[in-house]
Amino acid sequence: MDVSLTRNFCIIAHVDHGKTTLSDRLLEYTNTVQMRVMTDQHLDSMDLERERGITIKSHPVTMTYRAKDGKDYKLNLMDTPGHVDFSYEVSRSLAACEGAVLLIDAGQGVEAQTVANAHLAFAQKLKVIPVINKIDLPSANLELCTRQLEDILTIPAEEAILASGKSGIGIVDILEAVVQRVPPPRWAEYPQARILVFDSLYDAYRGCIAYVRVFSGTIKAHDMMMLMSTGQKAEVKEVGVFTPKMEKCASLGAGDVGYIVSSIKTPSEVKTGDTITIAARPATEMLPGYKEVRPMVFCGLYPLESDDYEKLKAGLGRLQLNDAAFVYSSESSIALGFGFRCGFLGLLHMEIIQERIRREHDVDIISTYPSVIYHIVKQGGEQIEVDNPVNMPDPGTILEIREPTIRASIIIPNDSMGDMLALIMEKRGVCDHTTTLDMNRVMLSAVLPLNEILVDFNDRLKSVTHGYGSMDYELGDYVPSDLVKMDILINGDPVDAFACIVHREKAEGKGRQLCEKLAEIIPPQMFKVAIQAAIGGKVIARDNVREMRKDVTAKCYGGDISRKRKLLDKQKEGKKKMKQIGKVSIPPDAFIQVLKN
Amino acid sequence: MSEIAPPPAEPPAPLGLYAHVPFCASTCDFCAFYQTEPTAEGIRRFLDGVAAEAGLVGWQSPVTTVFWGGGTPGLLPPPDLRRLGETVRARLGGRAVEWTVEITPASATEARLAVLREIGVTRISLGAQSFRPELLEALGRQHSREQIFRAYDRIRAAGFPSVNVDLMFALPGQDEAAWQADLGEALALAPDHLSTYCLTFEEDTKLWVKLSQGKVRLDPALEANLYEATWARLEAAGYAQYEISNFARPGHACRHNLDTWRMHEWIGLGPSAASQHAGWRGQNPSDLDRWLAGVAQGERMGEERVALTPALLVEDALVFGLRMNAGVDLPDVRRRFPGAPWPAVQAAVERLVDGELAEESGGILQLTPRGRLLADAVGVELLGVFTSPAAGRGSGEPG
Ligand SMILES: Nc1nc2c(ncn2[C@@H]2O[C@H](COP(=O)(O)OP(=O)(O)OP(=O)(O)O)[C@@H](O)[C@H]2O)c(=O)[nH]1
Ligand code: SF4
Ligand SMILES: [Mg+2]
Repeated sequence: MDVSLTRNFCIIAHVDHGKTTLSDRLLEYTNTVQMRVMTDQHLDSMDLERERGITIKSHPVTMTYRAKDGKDYKLNLMDTPGHVDFSYEVSRSLAACEGAVLLIDAGQGVEAQTVANAHLAFAQKLKVIPVINKIDLPSANLELCTRQLEDILTIPAEEAILASGKSGIGIVDILEAVVQRVPPPRWAEYPQARILVFDSLYDAYRGCIAYVRVFSGTIKAHDMMMLMSTGQKAEVKEVGVFTPKMEKCASLGAGDVGYIVSSIKTPSEVKTGDTITIAARPATEMLPGYKEVRPMVFCGLYPLESDDYEKLKAGLGRLQLNDAAFVYSSESSIALGFGFRCGFLGLLHMEIIQERIRREHDVDIISTYPSVIYHIVKQGGEQIEVDNPVNMPDPGTILEIREPTIRASIIIPNDSMGDMLALIMEKRGVCDHTTTLDMNRVMLSAVLPLNEILVDFNDRLKSVTHGYGSMDYELGDYVPSDLVKMDILINGDPVDAFACIVHREKAEGKGRQLCEKLAEIIPPQMFKVAIQAAIGGKVIARDNVREMRKDVTAKCYGGDISRKRKLLDKQKEGKKKMKQIGKVSIPPDAFIQVLKN
Repeated sequence: MSEIAPPPAEPPAPLGLYAHVPFCASTCDFCAFYQTEPTAEGIRRFLDGVAAEAGLVGWQSPVTTVFWGGGTPGLLPPPDLRRLGETVRARLGGRAVEWTVEITPASATEARLAVLREIGVTRISLGAQSFRPELLEALGRQHSREQIFRAYDRIRAAGFPSVNVDLMFALPGQDEAAWQADLGEALALAPDHLSTYCLTFEEDTKLWVKLSQGKVRLDPALEANLYEATWARLEAAGYAQYEISNFARPGHACRHNLDTWRMHEWIGLGPSAASQHAGWRGQNPSDLDRWLAGVAQGERMGEERVALTPALLVEDALVFGLRMNAGVDLPDVRRRFPGAPWPAVQAAVERLVDGELAEESGGILQLTPRGRLLADAVGVELLGVFTSPAAGRGSGEPG
């Protein structure tokens, strides 16, 4: 197989720098997608992607391009997500490519994921083609961008291509650069078939569909394939390419990107990062795989209507089929009933799964506060992991609690430095390094507890930098920390959904905030209701629910008794639907209101 | 005429008689009572029906109190009032302890009042509602401020022993000052009794429609303030509150209603009238024709029919009895309904007392002022404590 006319590349960038829009132009120019059926951000095919205007999954597509040298090239493009939560998607795509088009928004310049993704590409020894995009913007600052390219990414400025995905500028330059600068597919001469699984999808009819990049050999229907990690064999049912729709073809050969449908039905049996080979003549060395992604953020998900429990369970199951990074197991809560403990890569991932459950599986859900995994060393040396504050052992039995940290790279304008350092400090972080990027910007390197960036860190970052700051992070070490479990009590009864693990110094502030919020949101009650935040029985903050002022019918004579009883009965029924915390009946959505913000 | 005769020391169980006169000149915007247009034919059929229905009742003891409500009983022509009076009188063991008739200001003619006085009516309840023309207008009432004064004077002149004036508050557009002004005008009349009703939005009324269209708004905080202001003012003026909405000078509390709230028995005659009698609670059809058809077949109180169990009666004696300032005499209730699940009753009582919604002393359970403003919530708290399947087990058959 001649791979010299094949190029595999992905488009990488910071979020919103225009990857998917530029892909549109490439698809159009190469006639991959007919103008007639073309849509904006064509590769963002999931509803949620279209709605949010962001890419969540990497999308492969095969194009044919007649280059200036007169030859027809097969170009396999992968559009990748820019958001930090999905950086694992970028890593997987990079492993299936020889080159990467790195976009820089001419109006924004280099941002945190620009740096992070460029480094991922360098680490995989990919050829990086820098493209300064959105040059149509009035705010485009080409000089700044080229300088940043050199200073921050050490890429020679003359390599940069000027482009605009929106106006269609620089499209041919980019295609030519891919053909000329990106090397042809690697490892094509390896004697046996080696095929990298970079993603997989579950289809109700066809079972597991593996997204693959063939490095060497060929694969076609009726071949007996073998998964190298497990030795499991299966018959190939169908192979095909992405146009970007799945399109069946006769075979896939070295350098090709496409899909394989086999007799394997269960998606978990086809691990992303595994190598497929041909069972009759198996390869002996696997392709470099991926390190397994592990969920970092956990929360409870509960159906609003308890009748929806089974529906929620089925929905989570189906989502997990296509998303190995997402995990769940059942749990129950006094306040919220039966639900699931779920693990995610980050907050956006969490938000997206929740939205897909609501949307695609039509279940209304509520989530508890996100938590991280704590390592707890108990007296006697036993170490346990806790991702749900409710499972925190008795404080007396704990020797030490360790929490996960992240190493963050934060790029901000110079004049936000003071505010940013204050924010990092407030979030219990330590800034250990600053690099001047150019006259206007600095990059801070900081270590922060993961738990502190879960809730509002990104919003705060945007606000102190007036929208100009950006952050990338990777998981750091576990470090010992003075953490405590804080309970929220309603009239003395703990409400498990609000239990949280906080740093001792922050407990009081957070406790007060939660109490206030609950007091404000719980509707007025006929009995006095105290809300308290407590650590190990010691109350650190308190508030009272408003008292009901008036609930009385003016007229109640003989003829009204039956009617009145009915009305009271109805109220009573309503009360039964409420969550009973001790003597207090609280509408379930009161908890939800509090959990929402 | 002197004061109403005090009840005998060890009275036989009281029995009330309620007659529902279903005719009104027009429909008030807030009203959900059953009423229809008064025609000579309709009135005749009604009176025949009441007489026939009275014939169906198994009267076991004489009636102690009578109440004619509506509708507008005062709308009946004098001869018809007399006829209805005859039907009632036949069931009295001599003289009624109390006999109330509701009258609207527009219908209080001297001729009608004279007949009422003659047949033995002791108490007139005058539906004034408000003295402000714009509020009367807003309620869709068919009378003027002047008619209230004239009617009141005529009632007094006719010499009824006890007179009540009905007022309403928390009306759309009525602030506290306007309500105080109405209260002041009512007090200036010096009635024996005052009923002050916080406006209730009943389903299927014009006001309800306005509420659901957002044209009027509920303001529970203002309502609570008006309640408290009313209680304070009337107390100071010598009217003791004896129920959420009722105030009386000494000796003028409405016996008929007190007996109802204590879950004694009463017999209701007329369309939509409810009865609690002979082991059953039930209601007549809210329609003149259907009621008449039922009576013709010997049927009455066939709707919303429930058997009176000790548990139900205890529950209602508490839920409705607590609306009275005198509260509920627990040992007395216990004596009357020994089959009720008393541990459950006691637990519910303790909850209310703990929550400072009620106080108990010497077996008398009374709501605190705050509890009174939350009487419905208290009711919900008590409801089902006795009548739920678990609580009611072994509480006995219909008594
Ligand atoms: N002015 C201008 N706007 C552009 C250009 N390319 C993209 N945009 C706009 O930038 C926004 C983001 O575009 P996308 O193509 O979705 O960006 P992306 O990099 O794929 O975003 P993620 O996949 O979420 O990381 C959209 O509002 C586009 O309309 C361009 O060349 N010029
Ligand atoms: S409030 Fe009285 S007068 Fe007005 S419609 Fe109702 S029953 Fe008739
Ligand atoms: Mg995109």
